[in-house]
Amino acid sequence: MNQAVISCLHANLPAVEAVLKDIELQGITNITCLGDLVGYGPQPNEVIELIKEKKIATCQGCWDEDVVDGLDACDCSYPSQIAERRGHFAHQWTTEKLTKENKDFLANLPYSIRKDKCLFVHGSPNSQHEYLLPDMDAFAALERVENAKAEILFCGHTHQPYIRELANGSIAVKVKNSGSKDIQKKEMNLPMRRIVNAGSVGEPRHGGTKATYVVYNDITNDVKIREVEYDIELTCKAIINAGLPPIFAWRLKNGFEFAERAEDASHVCER
Amino acid sequence: MIERWALISGLKGDLDTYELIQKDLKKTPGNITLFVLGDMIGPEKNCNKLLHRLINPKSNDLQPWCIYGWWEEQILLESGYRGNQRAEALRINKGEEVVKSLINAVDKSFLDWIAALQFGFVELDCGLIHGSSKDVGDDLTLDTPPLTLLDRLTRLQVNRLFTARSTQQFHLELTEGILNSEVHDLTGNHKKEQKVPQKAVIGVGAGKNYTLYDVGTDNTQFVRAGYQSEKKKNGFGLHF
Repeated sequence: MNQAVISCLHANLPAVEAVLKDIELQGITNITCLGDLVGYGPQPNEVIELIKEKKIATCQGCWDEDVVDGLDACDCSYPSQIAERRGHFAHQWTTEKLTKENKDFLANLPYSIRKDKCLFVHGSPNSQHEYLLPDMDAFAALERVENAKAEILFCGHTHQPYIRELANGSIAVKVKNSGSKDIQKKEMNLPMRRIVNAGSVGEPRHGGTKATYVVYNDITNDVKIREVEYDIELTCKAIINAGLPPIFAWRLKNGFEFAERAEDASHVCER
Repeated sequence: MIERWALISGLKGDLDTYELIQKDLKKTPGNITLFVLGDMIGPEKNCNKLLHRLINPKSNDLQPWCIYGWWEEQILLESGYRGNQRAEALRINKGEEVVKSLINAVDKSFLDWIAALQFGFVELDCGLIHGSSKDVGDDLTLDTPPLTLLDRLTRLQVNRLFTARSTQQFHLELTEGILNSEVHDLTGNHKKEQKVPQKAVIGVGAGKNYTLYDVGTDNTQFVRAGYQSEKKKNGFGLHF
């Protein structure tokens, strides 16, 4: 059966509506959301209410956590001080706009959702702030999936959709311990695992302007990345009218990704 | 001159053991650097004399290079050096009495020195740390999955990781690692074969059990303090 996985909606209502419509047109009713319902975008309450109305299973993203806890993501998440200031402004704006009911909704979202062999998280099983980029060390990537006791790890946070298969791995281990002169040797085959990044519905950073999400077939194990057009102008106008930094609109309009990307993708925020 | 590292941990206030190790090292050939990988303190005995000696080495002592360990982290937590957090893990696992014993075992005047200690050292391509690059309490042993060990090495970007938390002595080498990675994204398919250069995780032991590392030959030797004198006296010894 096909199921859809969406992530990083970022309060962009036209993008969310377009993606949900695309999912509906394919006859998919099973949807999982990997968080970051809010942040950057101009319609945080509207997006949360739509997710609630559709009863979409959702885990908590880093923005959702930060807004609830009153914490700004540490500066390691930003490529520059100016980007950090913009991020903090968006955080404050979102906190002010959100209703208490919607804050409570974000506060009660789970960190992860497990469905059989699949684990759904925002960043990584370690942290909502950890980026699993497509070019991260393959062994470290495999460790994230394996230690989470999953076969397929669905994540978001990077805003770059991809499907990564880690296969045909092996490693030899030689052990010398204090109790013996002998050296023990063993060779281990590593399991095949997959990481699926759903990209971003509300703030794509893959070089294009279309919203992205993925469709997973749990019988064939096929995963497809979907790109969906939406009314970008509508969101851009709403960003400007809301008094949010105009660069957020410019970024959506041009499809550039660099404005808020972490410098050190392996960094785990330890606030 | 052979360059050697002596890696010790888990003294927990035991000045006698520290003196025994210092005595051993004076007889050990080579140019030796002494690293103390945490747990200098503990709740069992008063730690002030050992701490004083580590901070003010005797003129013929090898200079100790110290980092903080799990017990140091607990006293810093409990003493308010980590914001609002307290030593809850210790309190839950060992009880209130142990928390009190730890606080009583260390004079407050040493806390600033403990708080200024580093989490770990990176020397050459080696990480020297109490637990791991993930956490001071990370307990790496022979049974830790190789992928986890690789992750801890990767986080520090080192080829050797010396760890003390488990108190065990071991040398575990990871070799001939290979993994195929295929990424499909909106630009197409990208295949890559990743190999792991030889890497190792070394458990340095605790208390009287410590480790000597020959920097030039990458050789580890597991030692028990006082073994040389015990061997002479008793005619037998431990073989590692």
